[in-house]
Amino acid sequence: MAEQKGFTLWFTGLSGSGKTTLAKAVEQALRKRGLKVERLDGDIVRRSLTRDLGFSKEDRDKNIERVTFVAKLLTRNGVATLCSFISPYREVRARSRAEIGNFVEVYCECPLETCIERDVKGLYKKAINGEIENFTGISDPYEPPENPEIVVHTGSETVEESTAIILRRLAELGYIEPELTGAVVYSAEEETEVEERLRALGYI
Amino acid sequence: MSFFNRLRGKRKRRVVVIGLDGTPYTFVQRALELGRMPNFARMLGEGTFKRMNSVHPCVSSVAWSCYMTGKNPAKHGIYGFIDRKPGTYDTTIPTSRTMRSETLWEILSRAGKRVIVMNVPVTYPPRQVNGILISGFLSPKVEKAVYPPTEVGTLKRLGYIIDADPWAARESKDKALAEVNAALDSRVRALLHYMDNEEWDFLQCHVMETDRLYHFLWEQMDTDDPVYAPRFWEVIARIDQMLGEVYDRLDEHTTLIVMSDHGFCTLKYEVYVNYWLAQKGWLTLPENPPQRLKLADVGPHSLAYSLDPGRVFINLRGREPAGRVAPGAEYEVLRDEIAAAALEDMRDPETGAPMIAHVFRREELYHGPLLDQAADLILVSVDGYDLKGAMGKETLTFKGDELVGMHTYDDAMLWVQGQAIAAEGFCVTDVMPTVLRLMDVPIPDDVDGRVLI
Repeated sequence: MAEQKGFTLWFTGLSGSGKTTLAKAVEQALRKRGLKVERLDGDIVRRSLTRDLGFSKEDRDKNIERVTFVAKLLTRNGVATLCSFISPYREVRARSRAEIGNFVEVYCECPLETCIERDVKGLYKKAINGEIENFTGISDPYEPPENPEIVVHTGSETVEESTAIILRRLAELGYIEPELTGAVVYSAEEETEVEERLRALGYI
Repeated sequence: MSFFNRLRGKRKRRVVVIGLDGTPYTFVQRALELGRMPNFARMLGEGTFKRMNSVHPCVSSVAWSCYMTGKNPAKHGIYGFIDRKPGTYDTTIPTSRTMRSETLWEILSRAGKRVIVMNVPVTYPPRQVNGILISGFLSPKVEKAVYPPTEVGTLKRLGYIIDADPWAARESKDKALAEVNAALDSRVRALLHYMDNEEWDFLQCHVMETDRLYHFLWEQMDTDDPVYAPRFWEVIARIDQMLGEVYDRLDEHTTLIVMSDHGFCTLKYEVYVNYWLAQKGWLTLPENPPQRLKLADVGPHSLAYSLDPGRVFINLRGREPAGRVAPGAEYEVLRDEIAAAALEDMRDPETGAPMIAHVFRREELYHGPLLDQAADLILVSVDGYDLKGAMGKETLTFKGDELVGMHTYDDAMLWVQGQAIAAEGFCVTDVMPTVLRLMDVPIPDDVDGRVLI
């Protein structure tokens, strides 16, 4: 196999839209293929690399700036880098894209109501009650990507479906080899029938 | 539409593409002159109608793949209806799974547009879109051909047929017509159903029935056969009626595109390239061949073999499992020899006229990461000589009465409503970026096609 080409998968979307869940599933799938993978997750990064930062617009920008720097180094060194950050502002994501280069934006589209219903971390409840300020979707805007490489609809798709979409798109973009296995395209009987059709039309 | 949106001109443009497989520009001109397409005639002046090139090789699987990706085959990976499995002598049928590129409708889906795509070749198995996708030619059955699967019920209720049965069509011209008409009726029913009952920003309906009609009855039309020419024109009248029905449903914010992927002409001879390679000593086949020879039966001493249509592969060391020809100088010398010989030796058995018009080396036609999968030489025939990849034929040429039409490269057609097209000599690959521009969706950087409007 050719040398691994580094890239950054940038998962963006509301809190609770499934960014981390999907990044973990994709991480597993890529590792199974023998790829070097690193995952940078909003919640984890904020406990280490950027623990000094808060949630003001300025601090959020700094948070993404530092993560972008790390992602750039990893990508440059052939690592599949999975970043899951709400990253609500288009302009900031555009800067990360320009900085990193091999940048694949994954928009985790999920209705706000579904995210509120899920409220995995109990944050929406607090935000709605006014206990958290500047909370994306409640008291701070989320700017959806205008032209992301990948859109997954995490409100209606299963994790497996969304993961399959991401892997197929990565193959199309030339970052990974296409999946040759998977569900059978033609059963033996169907394959014979299809070949017969081609024969009847003179293509075999 | 609200008053303010109208003032701002914000209403987004919608596009409908009707694909008439294999319908030649020159044939439509003739049909218009004969008054056989009154609906298309009344639409015609409202847009630009131009001749268009196909791609090499000009078969539907390749041409529609180039259309839907806006890219050349070395970027999407579809080079024919069958292909080699890399590193083996096994053949495989390319599908949407092997297509290595995003498609027009996937890009539109990503941009939040709702799409309905019906019956386009090489879309099986159906890949996910924001809307509905019904796979076309080489889908085994409706139940497996539809995204989302919940649409299967509707299609069954509409009596949807994926494709005419080509074996039935081979039995008689009457059966061919019955098959074509039944499939066409079902297609039109489904098209109008989706146009009327679904929300969409982009709608594509592919009519494969024209290609089938031309394969089985083109000669009868061309020679004005007293029985079958009129029945051929009846199908064309139905196609024209469909265009009228679609056109009359459109509002001012929708652009209609009518296009084909290649042209057609009367087939003079099927030409068996593997027979010719064997005669020249470049291909050896087993002495006691099985009834149906396959690529895997190619003898270990072979230097070259061919797959449909006119794709010649060198039995290359390091690439083929029993490769004989060394890469580098030996490979280039053999390519030159075969190309020169094909142009010189492959001649009409009756008239002695050349049957090969051009031979391309793959790098002359294709560019991209999948160039390695391409044939080493691509033979392009003079119109009328249909290059076949069948193995084990005992003659160079054959003319039967079942398949009587064949594809041509430079006679596809494009009509775009409400737009001027200044370009000449463009090809099917250019339509996709044109659609994206019409719908104001960014064109990906790696698209090869150019915007025509």
